[in-house]
Amino acid sequence: MRVLHLIAIALLLGAAVAVAQTPDLARRQAEAAAALADRQEEETVLTEGEGRSEVFGYCTACHNTALIRRSAFTRDRWDELMDWMAEKHGMNPLEGEFRQTIVDYLAKHYGPRARSPRGGNPFLN
Amino acid sequence: MTRENAPERSVQELYRDDPERADALVFGRRGALKGAALAAMGTALGAGIPFARHMPQGLVPAALAQGAAQPQFLQMEGKAPLIMQGERPLNAETPEHLLDDAVTPADKFFIRNNGSVPDPVADPRAWKIRIDGEVNTPLELSIAELEQRFEVVTRQLQMECGGNGRSGFSPQAAGNQWGNGAISNAEWTGVRLRDVLRAAGLKEGAKFTGQHGADNHLSAQGPAISRGMRIEKALDEDTLICFRMNGAAIPQMHGAPARLIVPGWPGSLSQKWFNRLEVKSEPHTGRGMGGTSYRIPVRPIVPGSRNNGADFVDMESMPVRSVLTSHAHGTRLPAGTRSLDIRGHAWAGDLSVRDVHVSTDFGQSWQAMQVAAPPNRHSWQRWQGSVALPADGYYEVWYRATDSNGRMQPHVAANWNPQGYGANPISRIAILIG
Repeated sequence: MRVLHLIAIALLLGAAVAVAQTPDLARRQAEAAAALADRQEEETVLTEGEGRSEVFGYCTACHNTALIRRSAFTRDRWDELMDWMAEKHGMNPLEGEFRQTIVDYLAKHYGPRARSPRGGNPFLN
Repeated sequence: MTRENAPERSVQELYRDDPERADALVFGRRGALKGAALAAMGTALGAGIPFARHMPQGLVPAALAQGAAQPQFLQMEGKAPLIMQGERPLNAETPEHLLDDAVTPADKFFIRNNGSVPDPVADPRAWKIRIDGEVNTPLELSIAELEQRFEVVTRQLQMECGGNGRSGFSPQAAGNQWGNGAISNAEWTGVRLRDVLRAAGLKEGAKFTGQHGADNHLSAQGPAISRGMRIEKALDEDTLICFRMNGAAIPQMHGAPARLIVPGWPGSLSQKWFNRLEVKSEPHTGRGMGGTSYRIPVRPIVPGSRNNGADFVDMESMPVRSVLTSHAHGTRLPAGTRSLDIRGHAWAGDLSVRDVHVSTDFGQSWQAMQVAAPPNRHSWQRWQGSVALPADGYYEVWYRATDSNGRMQPHVAANWNPQGYGANPISRIAILIG
């Protein structure tokens, strides 16, 4: 019985420690999320081409390049997204030559592709 | 490269670069693999395909349907290696095989953010939630007061990103390219929103809600997201103001210290870092409302076409979906394995799941699985069963759930829309025996 009591006490202590650690873990996770968000990217993570600097500079003000790199849109859909980001997400509206440079770059380098961005062949790699 | 390897590479490359053309070249006219083509395909996949004769034309094997790029995985204390969707905003998907627990543990809970993760607060018990708008008595109550004043309930509730399954759409839709892993079924503890709304007293004009939280948009202009719903859903017994998840404090990543849980509807309604609910007479107009956001066409539109969403409707109850959790996609099993015990979960928004069927012969025949009753409404349901495998080789396990109204997961993602909501096609994993 004494052994059982000891185990019960140990479990209770363990639970108390786990609860006590929660605020620390919460803070560390928030810091980890902030660190991920702040992680500096190099422009070269995007495909080389005319307009890359403009795209990198303008777009990463709000989000990182994962959103670009995972995308595969036609020029028309990229163009539509420029309006959507301006209307819904507070982006400074893109117009004229600058807009054309950005949309041209995205359409050329992040256009429709035949394959999914997910994973690889589990039996061939 | 040896001569023997030449056809292997060519078929593989064909499928990766241009699956439709590859299909036309590799498959016979009647859509059946045969002769040399079967051998070439089998070589490309690294095995024979026992059910090749049933493989429909135009279908890329699951093992080849995925691209060459390897996914990146999240590395964070207290979190499993989730599939990284993006760092800013931080979004990460749970691989299906990590969703095996009946109650989703915190480390395997997918991460969805629209803005930045707020700093933890010093005194969670003092966190205040305001109820205002079309109510007789606006309330501002701390978590401690909520817990003291209203009945505290604990429920297992499925909560899923509105865009779950988006990667099923073709052409690609805008947003995180989720597979099926933006789903959770944690045990949530809190008070019913309806009890709090009744205490505030709904006015005649109380028709909609508007949710608010503490996270900021990445542009630093205003809140990250603020969505709302019809008052009927706010009054559902399972719509809860939660302050505990799985018996512990809600993790910071998932909305501590308080989160609204609106099970079965798009997860964006389940406001994280929840601090205010407006009751409104008109639909809410916060960020994430209107246009093509969380809205789906009533009249189907041409996939890939431009549309401002003006005649779309808000997405409400999520469509039926299933995951297979007992085996990872790409599992290799010993030669001679002739049966497989498989299991997973299935759910259907506000509805329940009636059936789950599995096929190992590309949909030629389907076998019913056992589906358990949910522990409570709005929880996902466990399905399990055993399938026979007649020979060594490459298999795909296809799994398809049917909701309580008889609607099944379709063969391909239906009702394409620009931001990609509601894709729930039949899923499949690749298995190699031997």
